This record gives sequence, C-alpha cells and structure tokens, in this order.
Amino acid sequence: MNAFRPAIGTPMEDLETPCLVVDLDALEHNYRKMANTYAESATKLRQHVKNIKCPQLAMMQIEAGGTVGGVCAAKVAEAEAMFEGGITDVLIPNQVVTRDKIARLCQLAGRGAVSVVVDDLRNVQTISEVASRHNVEIGILVEVDTQMGRAGVRDVRSGVELARLAYRSPGVRFKGVMSHQTIDGDADPDRETRFTEGRRMIQKCLDVKDAIEAAGISVEVVSTGETWTYDVAAAIPGVTEVEGGTYALYDTMFHYMDDFQFAGKIVGTVISTPRPGVAIGDTGSRALASPRGMLPSVASHENVTVERIFEDHIVLGVGAGPPLEIGDRYLLHSGQQDIMVNRWDRIVGVRDGVVEGVYDVSARGCHN
Amino acid sequence: MERPILKPVGTPAAELDTPALVVDIDRLNANIETVHGFFKSREAKVRPFVGSHLSTAVARRQFGVEGHAGGLTVSTVAQAEVFVAEGFTDVFVANQIVSPGKIARLCALARQATIYVAVDNPGNVDALSEAAASAGVSLRAVVDVDTGLHRCGVEPGRAAVELAAAAARSDGLEFGGIATYEGAILSDDPTVVEGETKKALQRLLDTRQAIEAAGMDVPMVCAGGTHNYTVAGSMGGVTDVAAGSYALMDAKYKDQRPELKCAAKIVSTVTSVPEPGLIVLDAGNKATGADAGLPIADDVDGEVFSLSAEHGRITMNAGAASSPDLGDKVWLTPYSIGDTANVYDIMHVVRDGVLEAVWPVNARGLYW
Repeated sequence: MNAFRPAIGTPMEDLETPCLVVDLDALEHNYRKMANTYAESATKLRQHVKNIKCPQLAMMQIEAGGTVGGVCAAKVAEAEAMFEGGITDVLIPNQVVTRDKIARLCQLAGRGAVSVVVDDLRNVQTISEVASRHNVEIGILVEVDTQMGRAGVRDVRSGVELARLAYRSPGVRFKGVMSHQTIDGDADPDRETRFTEGRRMIQKCLDVKDAIEAAGISVEVVSTGETWTYDVAAAIPGVTEVEGGTYALYDTMFHYMDDFQFAGKIVGTVISTPRPGVAIGDTGSRALASPRGMLPSVASHENVTVERIFEDHIVLGVGAGPPLEIGDRYLLHSGQQDIMVNRWDRIVGVRDGVVEGVYDVSARGCHN
Repeated sequence: MERPILKPVGTPAAELDTPALVVDIDRLNANIETVHGFFKSREAKVRPFVGSHLSTAVARRQFGVEGHAGGLTVSTVAQAEVFVAEGFTDVFVANQIVSPGKIARLCALARQATIYVAVDNPGNVDALSEAAASAGVSLRAVVDVDTGLHRCGVEPGRAAVELAAAAARSDGLEFGGIATYEGAILSDDPTVVEGETKKALQRLLDTRQAIEAAGMDVPMVCAGGTHNYTVAGSMGGVTDVAAGSYALMDAKYKDQRPELKCAAKIVSTVTSVPEPGLIVLDAGNKATGADAGLPIADDVDGEVFSLSAEHGRITMNAGAASSPDLGDKVWLTPYSIGDTANVYDIMHVVRDGVLEAVWPVNARGLYW
C-alpha cells in the first residue's frame, strides 16, 4: 500500500512514476462501444471486473448501458469488493469449492444475486448444503469447456447430469451454461476468422444448453464470449450475456482488433542512458506483469522498443529518431492488462493530460 | 487488498483460506542463520536486499542475526520510506533516482537515516548534489558499475573513477562506494557460477583499485546475490553482498543452494478435476506473480504446466499412484520470491505446520 495519491488537477507530467493511468476519453469510448453494441440486442454485457478490480469503473459501464446490470468476478473476495462498491448482481465464472468460501457467497446472496459455475457433481451438493443452511439461493451455471482444456465439462452428458442435480437440489437454482474461450492472437485473426472460430467454440456451449432443454429443464442464461467475441456472441441466438473484460482498459494481446482504444497506460521515466541506443526505465515486471515472458509495448515513442524487462527495470531500445534522455517520460501498453492491474492499488484517471479522478483498485490482491 | 478468511493462531496450515502465502518460520530462521553465519567471520557482510520479501518483519529477523552490514538494500524510494519509517537507519537505494520529486524524498529520508543511492551519470550526480546541498543533507553516491549485465551502470575503470571523483567533490554528496548487479548466474554447476562471478566481480575490484589509485577511499563495494554469496563474500575487497532471496528462498535458487530451504510457499486448492490426469487450482498468475517462471507443485506426482490469470493447471505424470482431488490442498514453491511477495498483503507464518502469526508485506506494490 502507499500514500501516493495525486491531487485532482495535477498535470500528467507531474505524476510520480511508475504510475498506472486510465485515459478517461478512451475508457468512455470503450464503454459506449459496448453500450451501443448491446443496446438493441437480446444479448447484454456482463462486464468481467477481474480486468479493472474497481467497482467505480464497473459502475460507469452499468450507467453507460448495454449490461445485465451486474458483473462477473473471478473470486469470492473480488465479488465482495464489488458488493461493497454498490454492485448487487455478481456471477463468479469459476469454481468455488471450499465450504467457508461458499458460506461467504451465501452472505452475499442474502444481499443480492449471486451465481457461480460448476463442473463437478460433488461441488453442486456442497453448495446446495451450505446455501440451504444459510437459507439463501445461489444461482448455478454449468461451465462448458469449449476449447481451453481448463475447467468445465468435456461432454454434453456431464453437463445435463449437473443441470439435473442443480435443478432438483435445494438452496441452488439452475440458471444456465457458461463458457470462456481464447483465440491465437499471434495468428492475427481477421474479423471473419473471429466469427468462424467464435461461433464454432460457442456452439459447444449451446449444444449443452440444447441437451439440458431437451431433458426438460429450461435454460435461462447462456453466459459466454469475451472481448474478442463481443460482436460474435451478440450475433448468436441463444447467447444471453457476454463476459468481456479486457475491452475496458485494453491490451496488446488484442492487437488484431481496432474496435476498442487503449485506455490503460503505464507512465515510466528514463533513469539511465548507459550506452547509445539504450535507455533504462523505472517500469519493471513487478509493476507491469510479464506473464510467459510477455513484454509491454511503447505507446509514446515510435522509435523506441522494449528489449528486456527485469523486476524493477525495463531496457528500451532507441532507434533512429529523437534520443531518450534521463528524466524523459514514456508510456507503455500492457501485454496482459488484468494481471498488470492486479499489481496496483490505484488507477489515476486522466483527461486531456490532467488528473480527473483517482480510483482505488479495491479488489487488487483478492485472490481468495 | 487481499482479503482472506483470517484463521486464528493454532490453525493447521492446510486449513488456511487459499490461495495464501505461507512462511515456515523455522526455515526462515535457519536460512538467516546459515547465510549470516557465513558472513560473520568475513570481511564482507550481507546487506539484505529486502525487495525479495518486502516485509519489515522479515528484515527485523535479518538484523537480529550477526553477519549483516548494518544496512539494507532496496530498489525504490517508496520502499526506502517504509523501512526508514520502521526505524532502519542505513538504506542503499540500488537504483538511479532522477526525478526532482523523488530526489527531494531521498533528501528528506537522509535526515533520518544514512542514504546510499546508485549513480551512473554526471548530470544525475549534479542534480542529487544540488538538491542535497540546498536541503542541508548528505547523500552517499554509489557508482553503479556495469560488469556484464548491460543494464544500468558505467563501464568499469576510468568512467567509474571520473564519476566517483565527481561525487567526491560535489556539495551535499559523499562518494559512498561502488556497486554492481552482475545478474543471476543460473547454472547448476558451482564451478561455472564461481568462474562467472569472479570474472564479473574482478572488474569491480579493479575499479576499486583504480579509484583508490586516484586518491579516494572506497567505503562500500557491493555485489553478489543469493546464488553466489559464498563466492562474492570470499573475494577480498568486496564489503557488501546484497543478497535477498536467501531468507524465504524460491525454486529459482533452490538447486544451487541446497543449504537453504524454501521457507515460503503458496497453498492453493483444487477447484476442478475435469478429466483424468488434469488438476485445476485456484492459484494462477495473479496469486503467484509468476512472471519469471512457473511454481513447482510440492508432493504431487505431476507438474504445473500453465498459469492463466486465475487458474493453475497441473498435469499428472503417467502412472502417478494418486492424484489430488476436488477441494484438496496443493502446495506450490514460488519460482521467484520477490515477484510472489509483491502480490500478497500478508504472510501467514507457521511453525510445525500450525499458524503462529500474520505479518504484513508492508513494502509491496511500492514501485516509485
């Protein structure tokens, strides 16, 4: 934690670095984009807050429109942080298996709508038992593995079995199905590829929905899709909500799309220019996150590239063009922004180069 | 902020809410005894790099055992502020501090503590001098020498002598010595580590001689880390070894340093067993900070093969006798402890597998 909190009205060039800023014009563009996409659609957005970890920024999307009125949170603690920020409808698209965490969910369910995904019959039984004891109802969605090979049922039959159990168990209400999928961004997929691949993957989730309905259980919610399929999922009949998250602050993983703007940026300062063509900055991997060796990109200087990153340093290569001097500032775009946001306690909101608001990342570190 | 369900002292470690950072205090104490015991009878002393644990509680224990240099090493001004506030009176900020705001903060700290700061540029020496002189304090400028990592630092030899002389004659500054970060030499072959370390550090020692030949004393010669502390600490002329990982240890150095035991672990829970041979954990990159490498799963006949933001995945080895089931705990050894400490707000301290205390990671997230 820290005491550093710039005053509203501070010029951006006076911010101490490293600093995570959000360009509010860009954020509002991204929020409007979603609001417009889903305004007239049967599909709505359920923003995934693991990418912002901040209830105020989530509220801004709910107010902008296009949403179901609630959010996704990755963890129980993250859901608690959202409830504290005034959000009362949370889906956890993750398995919550321990009794004490399920009890925490039940506390939230007494104050709003809480749903969680399952992929194991035993988990349904445990949730049912704990929720019954707390005299609340937890919404249950079956997670379907459509491509990732992570959590989720692998076949239609298991999905139907889970739905049946949830349907007849006390303390839980079967609501529907959920899936999450990725696409290889390195292959630079175009719009057509996104649509073809997105439809193919999401169809697996819809297959489970169809089978559950064929078994006589109605499926109210199909929660699937993410930033790269935000438009794909909206065009698929039967999908009721899309779980996008990265679209808000954005990152270079989605370089192949131009629908959203880079709202999140990290400001750094050059601290050393030891050799020609090289500048060392104060933005290291602890502040930026570099999962799987992923490097951030330089947003402010066309002739500067990121060569290497250390815990507390970044090595910048300076090509032909204006040199970087000690004390110069630069802006970076994150490689994977949800992990980056988790390294920060504050996001500084700027507009036209001036601080307009400082947002607590209250769900930062909410791993539990 | 992390928000685990806090369990009372006396709780078995396996019942902690997960994911959690757990520190075995006996192992921590033994690691400190081992490394400090090595330095006790030597010219060189360990100047703990506290960026590896980001905790004043751990630093207290390091300062409670002889063999330390009386001071510690940090990487940012904000970290220095935490440690000085907690009563540590000798701090080496092993980084270039260039912005006027940060230099002013360094000068303020210099009223309460002896502050060493790394320099590699004459303009920065002037800026530090001007600020310190006008604040009426003294900063100890330590010339950062590039001995082969090619990050920050001046060339060994003449460039370093010139910068040392500039510091020595500048108002508000004293020449504090020389330092290098030679980088982690991750070889399992001790002769390679020894050879590489000696080659790099000889450049530093030659620089020491050159500065002394120019008529200046070199109070501090700082180099080395956990992986090569025995080599660096045995070289005549080295005064300080800025090792840090040795206290909590990690998977990165454990094979190189069998005399040290991994004292810090992440305890996680199996949240999904979606297919034979695959286990999904509730700890992903966000709960491990695993930018530099994947954690190791203890006591599991399989390996962590992937971390997404929120999930860890283990594939079981073919023919594994048993496999963790839903709700079971899996203990992970972090790859790089500084990265892991940075994503937690608290360490759960255990002795003989039972919770004894909760320590804050009170210098986490302080990048500026």
